[in-house]
Amino acid sequence: MEKLQDSACEYLSGVCPVWCPGCGYYGILSSLIEAFAELGVPSHELALVSGIGCASRLPYFVKAYGFHGIHGRALPIAQGVKLANPKLTVVVVGGDGDGLAIGGGHLPHAARNNVDFTYLLFNNAIYGMTKGQFSPTTMLSAVTKTSPFGLPGETVNPAALAIVYGASFVARGFSVKKEHLKNLILEGIRHRGFSFIEILASCASFNTTDMNVARIIKAMASVPSDHDPAKPLEALRLATHEEKIYLGVLHRAERPTLEDRCSEIQRAARARGGGAYADLVAQFA
Amino acid sequence: MHPDLTLRIAGESGEGVITIGETLCKIAAREGLHLVTFRTFPAEIKGGPCMMQLRLSEKALSCHGERLDLLVCLNQQALDDNLEDLGEDGALVCEAECELPDEGAPRTVYRIPFERIAVREIGSRISKNIVVLGVLSHLLGLPKPAVEKLLSEKFARKNRAVLEHNLEALRRGLDYAREHCSGRKTIRLPPGGKQNKLLLSGNEAVALGAVAAGVKCFFGYPITPASEIMEWLALHLPRLGGKVLQTEDEIAAIGCLAGASWAGARSMTATSGPGLSLMSETIGLLTMAEIPAVIVDSQRGGPSTGMPTKTEQSDLNLALYGAHGDSPRVVVAPTSVADCFRMTGLAFDLAEKYQLPVIVLIDQALSARLETVEPGLVERKPAALRLLAEPAGGAAYARYRLGPAVSPAAVPGTEGGEHMVTGMEHDELGNFACDEEAHTAMSVKRHRKLEAINDDALVRDLSSHFGDPDADIGVVTWGSSAGPAEEAIAAANRMGIPVRGFVPRILSPLPHRDLAKFLGAVKRVIVPELNFTGQFAALLRATYGIRTTSLTKVKGVPLSPGEIVEKIVEAAEEIAARSKPTHGKAAGQRV
Repeated sequence: MEKLQDSACEYLSGVCPVWCPGCGYYGILSSLIEAFAELGVPSHELALVSGIGCASRLPYFVKAYGFHGIHGRALPIAQGVKLANPKLTVVVVGGDGDGLAIGGGHLPHAARNNVDFTYLLFNNAIYGMTKGQFSPTTMLSAVTKTSPFGLPGETVNPAALAIVYGASFVARGFSVKKEHLKNLILEGIRHRGFSFIEILASCASFNTTDMNVARIIKAMASVPSDHDPAKPLEALRLATHEEKIYLGVLHRAERPTLEDRCSEIQRAARARGGGAYADLVAQFA
Repeated sequence: MHPDLTLRIAGESGEGVITIGETLCKIAAREGLHLVTFRTFPAEIKGGPCMMQLRLSEKALSCHGERLDLLVCLNQQALDDNLEDLGEDGALVCEAECELPDEGAPRTVYRIPFERIAVREIGSRISKNIVVLGVLSHLLGLPKPAVEKLLSEKFARKNRAVLEHNLEALRRGLDYAREHCSGRKTIRLPPGGKQNKLLLSGNEAVALGAVAAGVKCFFGYPITPASEIMEWLALHLPRLGGKVLQTEDEIAAIGCLAGASWAGARSMTATSGPGLSLMSETIGLLTMAEIPAVIVDSQRGGPSTGMPTKTEQSDLNLALYGAHGDSPRVVVAPTSVADCFRMTGLAFDLAEKYQLPVIVLIDQALSARLETVEPGLVERKPAALRLLAEPAGGAAYARYRLGPAVSPAAVPGTEGGEHMVTGMEHDELGNFACDEEAHTAMSVKRHRKLEAINDDALVRDLSSHFGDPDADIGVVTWGSSAGPAEEAIAAANRMGIPVRGFVPRILSPLPHRDLAKFLGAVKRVIVPELNFTGQFAALLRATYGIRTTSLTKVKGVPLSPGEIVEKIVEAAEEIAARSKPTHGKAAGQRV
């Protein structure tokens, strides 16, 4: 790993990453721990939750509380963690297959519940851990081990999906643009509510065409300075642009989080009285 | 005077059958009677036949009874469907227009024009069930003030006119019965006990038990017959500072549970077979990651969507083994409503103490049945807590330290306790470890918990013993089949057939010492259960290498004591036939 601030290095667990040489995820890891360092969050108040896949291995490499779960289930697990202990800073990490294929059903609900955590979706448009099958973000024309003659279905756009699902913060970053990515992660963590950050990354072993660094650099563009992130349709227009890959904060909205709603529900329930165990028993008499 | 009384109300869904039944239950509970109910309802959204059966007694009851003393039918279909269950001396109350069969009509019949009274005298068809309640109040000799008080409570939220309307319907029913049903056989409630009792369903007892055990987070997805547990907790848990979340599916529910429990909150979910199968992958994760979890499975008829409103005990194999790899977990099986409360509390204690998933296995009949419970039985506090780590500075905290079966857990937020939990095989630190030593050592660690539980005082004396302790015939059963078995054993003993019974309330790990002793002391083992293949019998055969006689039933309704008695009689006859001297052999010679 390249030069890191000493304070960022304190967030390294000492476990050596298992990613292939040249993997884009190294860049994401360094942006992430630099963001933690800048945030100054104590490592014991940090919970990293993941599913299964190359990206989901990340919690092992960070000094924090880590939950490496099962394929596709990181979002529900993280939601449980946050509900049980709202004081924790919860970050979910996972890949495109984990988050959009097997776990795709959980994304709309994490978004609409507006759980106050940050979801980093590493998009390298391939299943790397199982060695080269297509994922929901693989391009239609791609030749992979399970699409030797092309793909059967259309390509999913993660950031656009998150906007449509009602995520209150949606951004897109690129593993190579580390400083920019660090700032996006910082913004995402500071945002109260569900933050979705799609991070484009190359896979050095199984997908060097789709997520080709040179191709992305050529197509990437910064979100225009006059863009109003409060307007979801505007955000969607940028997210789905046919030629340009817009990087930056696409959408941002303020609304109550799941924790806020739970507190409201508790207040409303208490207003009805009878909060003691004996009152519960009395209703059966 | 009946020592106990079994009555059934049958009609069309929507006719108010359940309201009548529940009102009678409440009155009986307040009079201090013991009671157990059984109800069936159709799988249709609306309509279809339904019934509610109540058994009332001065003494504690273990099941909903068999032959009816009183049958109330609100229409012809109800009469046709239910008449065969009326006992020989039983009485029938039916809508006046119903036709009775030419043969086998009961001796005592009260034909009451319920519909006419409701429509003509009250002016509303929907008050028919309150007219029925009036008639029953007379026949059963219910204290009128108690009935009126209950109706007042029931309609307290509605306006005064609605209550007056219903009180009038009650009076009309009572008056009609006084005039037309006197001088014939009357049926009286057994005299009440000393203390008022609580009236709960199995599902309510599970929910209350969870609250008493300190549940903080509940996650679930609606499914019959477990939904009421989530509904009840959604109403009450937030008042106590807890959280209830209906998730997008069962996989999310148990995922949330895993996260919340890891983060330190006593957490729970409740589902039925189809949901449990979706959860099985995460149950394996909970075992592997050593995270406490309480999972309630209210079984229904399967496989697949099967018979969602009917009872069955066919998820045993799924509960015991449902997950890939070797994934030890605890399975407990309550036998009654009071047990649902107690065993849910125990499930939390075992889950937290041993850091593993615990499945509470009930079924539709137990979930839905109302039963009286002594108030003292629902007082409880957590009896065991999670062993928490106090990480010292310097040395890395080892979440999965080898040695004792249970290693101290650091809850996220604890300084110095940073660690990984994972579904992958791991070393003591939680780091991925794929070598044979790690997998062997950690497999031993995970399985040793079950051995430790077998020796734990928390599970001592959990099994029930019934009947004649010297009998050669033994009955071993589980869950809601225990009640009918207990009655069957008592009945068989009264008939002069020595038989004894054993009911473990913990099915994983099995209570080996007591169970092996019981199985070794009897010559014949009858295993009644509600599934097609005899899943529990197979478990006993596999574990103890014994022969078993299965009594299985998949009709969607509980076993009746009579069915079990029949099996016991058969076994007794076979034993007697074998012990007779055979021709050509000297008497006393073993055959």
